[in-house]
Amino acid sequence: MSAAIELRGVSKQFTKYVDTPMLLTSMLRFRPGTRRDRIWAVQDLDLDVAPGESFGVIGRNGSGKSTLMTLMAGITAPSRGSVRVRGRVAPLIAVGVGFHRELTGRENVYVNGSILGLSRRQIDRRLESIVDFAEVGSFIDTPVKFYSSGMFVRLGFAVAIHAEPEVLIVDEVLAVGDMAFQVKCYDRMKELRSSGATVVMVSHALGAVRRMCERVLLLDRGRPVAVGTAEEAIAAYHDVLSASREITVGESGLRHEPDVVKIGAVEVLAADERGCWWRTGHVEAGTQVRLRVEGTAVTDLDDLVVALTVLGADGSVVYADSTAGHPFGAVGAGECFTALGSFCCRLPTGTYEVAVRVDRADLRTTLAFAAPVSFFVTGRNTVAGLADLETAFAREESGGTAVVHDPSSTAGVASGSLYLS
Amino acid sequence: MGRLRPLRTLMTALTSELGERGASPPPLSVDLHGSATGPGGLARAVWAHRELLGILARKEFHVRYRRATFGVLWAVALPVLQSLVLAVVFSKVAHIRHASHYPVFVLSGMAAWLYFAMALAGGSTSIVDGSDLSSRVYFPRILLPLVQVATNLYGLLVTVGVLVALSPVLGVGLGSGLVYLVPGVVVLVLVTAGFVLVASALHVYFRDIRYVVSAALMMWMYVTPVIYPPADTHGPLRAAILANPLTGVVELFHASTVGATVSLAAAVSVSLAWAAVLLVAGVSLHSRFDRVFADLL
Repeated sequence: MSAAIELRGVSKQFTKYVDTPMLLTSMLRFRPGTRRDRIWAVQDLDLDVAPGESFGVIGRNGSGKSTLMTLMAGITAPSRGSVRVRGRVAPLIAVGVGFHRELTGRENVYVNGSILGLSRRQIDRRLESIVDFAEVGSFIDTPVKFYSSGMFVRLGFAVAIHAEPEVLIVDEVLAVGDMAFQVKCYDRMKELRSSGATVVMVSHALGAVRRMCERVLLLDRGRPVAVGTAEEAIAAYHDVLSASREITVGESGLRHEPDVVKIGAVEVLAADERGCWWRTGHVEAGTQVRLRVEGTAVTDLDDLVVALTVLGADGSVVYADSTAGHPFGAVGAGECFTALGSFCCRLPTGTYEVAVRVDRADLRTTLAFAAPVSFFVTGRNTVAGLADLETAFAREESGGTAVVHDPSSTAGVASGSLYLS
Repeated sequence: MGRLRPLRTLMTALTSELGERGASPPPLSVDLHGSATGPGGLARAVWAHRELLGILARKEFHVRYRRATFGVLWAVALPVLQSLVLAVVFSKVAHIRHASHYPVFVLSGMAAWLYFAMALAGGSTSIVDGSDLSSRVYFPRILLPLVQVATNLYGLLVTVGVLVALSPVLGVGLGSGLVYLVPGVVVLVLVTAGFVLVASALHVYFRDIRYVVSAALMMWMYVTPVIYPPADTHGPLRAAILANPLTGVVELFHASTVGATVSLAAAVSVSLAWAAVLLVAGVSLHSRFDRVFADLL
């Protein structure tokens, strides 16, 4: 059977205009004077995705993942090469595409559904099921501007999933919405797959990619680096990350003294509802996270300093701390040591990386760097910015204060069991 | 019972025709080679999304008028008000030498002009304005400007209704001349679509088209016979009026009420020639750049 998605020698070039082209100035100036840069977002990519396969695409920001997705969805055409997709495509690049705030949920379902290729009659028949899935109930006849962000996302996803696409292209969208709904979405995606649909997932959420995808492509700088099982691609991804981050991650300002300490595993752990700690790629904001670092000393050490750096998706340092000034203890030659760092994950939704470094206790040299480990934080819907300070809101009244919302008292109620199963 | 079988087969065929996934392998939905789409590809895409035009036009209409207290009334009130202001200003204040039944003359011309101006203003920026949609999902981008051409037809319908209702009150008896409205609307839509298709494609690249269009519309009205009859003009102004693609359209509207003042055949031929050239240019621009507009949004 022919491939569901077939890319042959695909390259995509973007032109970045330094100044916006203007009709008047270009006419006045006789020659095109617009300054521009050309960027190859994807280069020489060949790819076949079989019908019914679930395929993942991972890579750093700017690696060409999103461009590849827009190419597969037919939103943009390749500069060179050919892209063929068999069957109806539903891109979940941003759920609720085309939702207009002034229109009711029902009207938006019709607009959105027909954009995804459904006929009016098909939408008529599916409307009830869409409303059920989205759990919007009687709100369906309310303008969507009155919806909560959760309802908005749920309705958008419900429409896309009811378009019964032969090819579903999923972006990071599932990062939003509550846990229960995410479970429902993943279940529905699995159902779609078992009915023969092809799912392409473009994500930072390595945990989700690992669970959902049979085959994963790693892109770097627009070129394919590895295609294989999820484990293989993720391993290659970590190599790419550590190769590119070695200098910034090890930004201790200290001289590197190799062959004194080797760092083995670095793991991010989260607790399930029974209090067991599991290795995970997903963390819910406001819950406790443990960082477990295993190392081996090659020579005797009286003391050492363990430092950790949390990096945002763009590589910026979100947080850094170390044991400097507090004794960790001696480690003999050939001895293993394990360092545990526990912290409350007060971060907004996004992908983060945590890098670990071991320095000498006198803080003169760095002994070892570990490849950054990435994890995804499902943040609270209302939080934006760099950190989640867990503001407790209250209303001051004459008789005292009434709590409006205190996130620290509710956080962690929905456990991360979804990602640990 | 045997006689029912063909009927049943037909019903089954019809229900599966309605798009539920059949057993046959799905057709190619994306088939791209290089960045140009081509007229054939564009035509197929438009056909596949034919229902979307109506749905988007209805959405646009709802969004535009839902919030206003009088809702749809504004669609009636604005063009009538604007025509009345012009009629009063130019007949009472500026003492223009004009045709008989000046208010009806202005109202009939303005009906056509306002449709053109509103569709062009909205249509030229439509692809950029719809970027939240078009950067995330594919549908032929040509639908966005066409939606503007379609939505504004409602306003035109209302103004024409008001024109027909008001004309007898303003002293103009209407008769068989009203049939001129049919070719009038057809040519108006063709000319408008031509301009809108070209302007919308250019605006994705040249972001100052927005201002070029509003400046052009402002001056354009004065070389279109909506305020004064072309018979009153001479020299370069008359030449401009005769070359104006809208003269033929506006004169067809005049012909339906107060009577045309220039040779209709010549003026309409000019309009149709413009429409043909612009439609060919507009469709070629859209078929070349359909799939790469999103890159510039």
